Amino acid sequence: MLGVMVRKMWHKKWLFFCLLLGSVLLVATAASYPMYRNAVYNRMLQDEFDDYLKLNGEWPVAIDMITMSQKEEGGVTMNNMENFTEGLSDRLGLTVKENIVYYAVVSKEAYSVHDREDNDAKGMRLSYMSGLPEHITMVEGEMYSEDGVDENGYVEVIISQNTLLNLSVIVGECYEFEDFTYADGTPVKIKINGVYEATDRNDFYWQERPEAMGTVLMMDEDLFRESFTGDNARHYNLTCKYYALFEYEDIVATQAVHLQQEATYLLEESAYRSTISDLDFIDVVNNYTSKESRISTTLFILQVPVMLLLCAFLFMISCQMYEMERNDISVMKSRGASRGQIFRLYLYQSIMLSGIGVLGGLPLGSVFCRILGSADNFLEFGIRRELTVSYTWDVFVYAFIAVGVSVLIMTIPALKHSKVSIVNLKQQKALKKKSWWEKCFLDIIFLGISVYGYYNFSKHTSSLLESAVKGEALDPLLYVSSSLFILGFGMLLLRVQPLIVKLIYLIGRKRWRPASYASFMETIKNGRKQQYIMLFMILTVSLGMFNAVSARTILQNTLNNTEYLEGADIVMQEVWEDNLMETKMNPNIEFQYYEPDYSRFETLEGAKNYTKVFIDTRGYFAGASNRRSAVEILGIHTKEFGQVTHLDDELLAQPYYQYLNDLAVAPNGVLLSANFRDKLGYAVGDYFTFNNISGESAGGLIVGFFDYWPTYEPEVVTIDENGDIVKNDNYMVVAHLSTLQQYWGITPYQVWIDMEEGKSTDAFYEWVEENDAPLKMYVDRSEELQKVVEDPLLQGMNGVLTMSFIVMIILCAVGYLIYWIMSIRSRELMFGVLRAFGMHKGEVLHMLTNEQIFSGFYSILSGIAIGTVAYQLFVPILQTAYSTTNQVLPLTLITQTSDMVRLYSVVGITMAVCLLVLAIIVFKMNITKALKLGEE
Amino acid sequence: MKNIAEIIGVSRAFSVSGGEFYALKNINLEIPENKLTILRGKSGSGKTTLMNIIGALDYPTTGQIMMDGRDIVKMSDRKREKLRRTQFGFVFQSVSLIPTMNAYQNVEYALRMAGIKGNHKARVEECLKMVGLGGRMTHMPSELSGGEQQRVAIARAIAHRPRILFADEPTAELDSAMAAEVTELFKRMTSQENVTIIMTTHDVGLMDAGDVIVELKDGEQVCQKQ
Repeated sequence: MLGVMVRKMWHKKWLFFCLLLGSVLLVATAASYPMYRNAVYNRMLQDEFDDYLKLNGEWPVAIDMITMSQKEEGGVTMNNMENFTEGLSDRLGLTVKENIVYYAVVSKEAYSVHDREDNDAKGMRLSYMSGLPEHITMVEGEMYSEDGVDENGYVEVIISQNTLLNLSVIVGECYEFEDFTYADGTPVKIKINGVYEATDRNDFYWQERPEAMGTVLMMDEDLFRESFTGDNARHYNLTCKYYALFEYEDIVATQAVHLQQEATYLLEESAYRSTISDLDFIDVVNNYTSKESRISTTLFILQVPVMLLLCAFLFMISCQMYEMERNDISVMKSRGASRGQIFRLYLYQSIMLSGIGVLGGLPLGSVFCRILGSADNFLEFGIRRELTVSYTWDVFVYAFIAVGVSVLIMTIPALKHSKVSIVNLKQQKALKKKSWWEKCFLDIIFLGISVYGYYNFSKHTSSLLESAVKGEALDPLLYVSSSLFILGFGMLLLRVQPLIVKLIYLIGRKRWRPASYASFMETIKNGRKQQYIMLFMILTVSLGMFNAVSARTILQNTLNNTEYLEGADIVMQEVWEDNLMETKMNPNIEFQYYEPDYSRFETLEGAKNYTKVFIDTRGYFAGASNRRSAVEILGIHTKEFGQVTHLDDELLAQPYYQYLNDLAVAPNGVLLSANFRDKLGYAVGDYFTFNNISGESAGGLIVGFFDYWPTYEPEVVTIDENGDIVKNDNYMVVAHLSTLQQYWGITPYQVWIDMEEGKSTDAFYEWVEENDAPLKMYVDRSEELQKVVEDPLLQGMNGVLTMSFIVMIILCAVGYLIYWIMSIRSRELMFGVLRAFGMHKGEVLHMLTNEQIFSGFYSILSGIAIGTVAYQLFVPILQTAYSTTNQVLPLTLITQTSDMVRLYSVVGITMAVCLLVLAIIVFKMNITKALKLGEE
Repeated sequence: MKNIAEIIGVSRAFSVSGGEFYALKNINLEIPENKLTILRGKSGSGKTTLMNIIGALDYPTTGQIMMDGRDIVKMSDRKREKLRRTQFGFVFQSVSLIPTMNAYQNVEYALRMAGIKGNHKARVEECLKMVGLGGRMTHMPSELSGGEQQRVAIARAIAHRPRILFADEPTAELDSAMAAEVTELFKRMTSQENVTIIMTTHDVGLMDAGDVIVELKDGEQVCQKQ
């Protein structure tokens, strides 16, 4: 049987190549989903940890525990705690980076054994900290010796410089504790052996900062344990601190749930819950898990169409194969093969193909995953940060589900075909009239559902927005609606295709040349055979367009919004010195700031323009019924501001520069946000008075109202504790910086910088270092934009849509080519007959070209039409579902010509290659051989 | 008796592994006009090859096919195509109707191919009636029996009034009664339609119908009966 199968497969190698391709792509697509998702989750979690580290300067995964071991309990707590903390890493499943144990006994009566004038009792903490010797450098004196005591029985201790100053001791000095002794009653005596400092102050080992240990004397660990712990613990009150630091770079997303459970246990149930002082990492993990589900659902939904297309492709090719093997099957049957045998033959064949599919699909899946992860826009791969792809168990689960599906799709048609004997076969060869879906109006049903979905969603955009803002997962129905729309519309155009061809035929019925005539006949009578491949082309083009526009639109709008909210390429504010201290000492001196040297900005390389911008976000004015209302105050230099910032004129009632000009000619003028006019009834020409954060007032004549202004958010959207969305009006006043300075003096301002096109902002950081300019704040817009591009949701969307598009193009090109070659092979006899009747080769080609126009060209045009309508209707809704709280700018559809050109050229090249192959086949065709085909 | 075509020294070699195989060896033959000539022989005797060469579907390795004083072997492809379109008609062993056209359209297509202008209806109907299918003109090929399909093919082959009709084993897939009927039809057509018919067959029973019978064996002409 295997021999039969292999010979059969070799005979139809191209068809099997297609089946293999489909199966490999299906497995790869299915496997790439969990691969990408897991990789992105890991990256997200790492990002959260990194952010925490950057923001707080603290190690993100650490557990701090503090307790006192009282004399009375004899060290039980201490022992338990030590056991417990040692088991923590196993319990949490984390790798230990650093385990630090710090014990101390306290003496309040330490006296110098030397004659000192000021020999008062000193408070000292005799302690040890695990791992200390490896993290310090001695600056004075010496490290304690190996025994930890000198020949006179003095415990050798080392101290930090802080302790040295704080206790005012000197190196070499000896002390005796009068408030406690060793267990045997001998007094505890110490000797200051040396002074240490941290080798690296930024090392996370220093959970207990050296400068905070003002009275701490460090001694040898073994000696400390021998003297004060174990059996001796019952004589002392000990301070015990444990710091467990865990490596976070190797924490993977799948550990998140476990970590959350353990954290809950530690904080709520464990016997040591009261001793735990710090468990910040769990906030980081929670932060991450809150984003998780939205991303996984969205990515999955986005991948569904391409998966379905892959299944359809496999089905189409296997049907084609069964069609070709109908004769073989019926012959096998009439020679006595049972239905089961035939079915098994095809089952084994499918299993073999799908098996190879897994072998090829899994590695390809990881390639897909990498491509996915590098997509920074539709069909653009600019992200260099590589994803770590790992083969986790769920990857295999998805791959095997895909294999199961592909075996099923390839075998199911065999059930039908294995029934057919040679007798039914002849009867079935009659021309098909209508497809089943045409009879049950599936196209109309699909369209109906999608149009209903469209109206439903467009009526309820606010609730869509709400769930998006809350970070809920994308509503699958939304995506289903748009997909059904495309599918239904495509099928409808397929239904009318024969009618259109018939109409064209009828128009020139008498005039058609024989070749055209034959092609019309073929298309009108036999065109339904092509419906599948045509639907494929329609879907490729329309989904391709839809994907391109949705990816571009969603990303570009977010980028535009970010660009708008940041104001300029770089926004920064230096720390200003002032004379506050002096005014406190001498009330007669007036408070003033010392303005940093503004001319230094001239040396900032790559800065095209820069300007001073005064911002007071906490100003106020007398609002409705004289209530104090918040207003954001912006002081600008109109000309420079216009050079540094940019605003789309379409967003405003009049061009942006017009606003700036209006303000420029009115030194005492102000521009107000439009809600002053719309909600509070202000008008141009009114006088507007406002106060800064310190209550000093200023005012000006209103020269205009704007809907948008760089950085201005008309509404602030927040989510209250009930999870409801709250919108608050936000007011802004824009005035001349010079005017504001006349009112309020020179106060700290921001500097907004416009960098030259393509110049990296590195120059800015160098400038800051060179000028030693302490920054109070800064925003690097390119960094913010990069964050948007790398946002897992947007990035994943771009990746999946791009990936789907590439897969669809491959399927479409291969499918179309195979379909046509098969179709020509099956009609070779007829071409032979036509050639025998004296038809020229060119005319045969002309005939086939005509048929291609009716099928391929028609499909492409339909695809374009459907794609255009679909994105006009559905992208605005889809986009709403991706909104965030700070979406300010109105959402606009973004179409990029280059995408369409790329799409059309790929489809065009496919058709051209197809024609070329056709031409080669037709011109190589031998009439007598073709006629012989019919005799077999 | 006038000859419509003259075959002079025609040989046809095919390259096969290990040299050349001669399917036809030095055939010399005259085809009388408006008569039914039968090429007879076992399978592999070269009769189809010979017919394809006369019908300008294939080229001889050596030799000439003279028609109207011209060697059609030396004609350009375009000229040979025109010859096939306008002066020849073909009926093949297997059913060769265009599956997407009904009986009427199939016959009419031959007229379109030959470039015959004017109203085709009368001629198409005449031809279909001649083969006894006047009542099934709108049937699709798949709705006709094998014999009926073959008769439509014959109607199509003569519709444009060719001078020579080539029929390659036209009766091979038909039962003997039907075969006799088709052969009878051919015979009748030679006088009715003034057409020369060249037909191949391996059926001994049909021999008597032919005006000229040429027997081939292993590529060689073994005898010719008038």
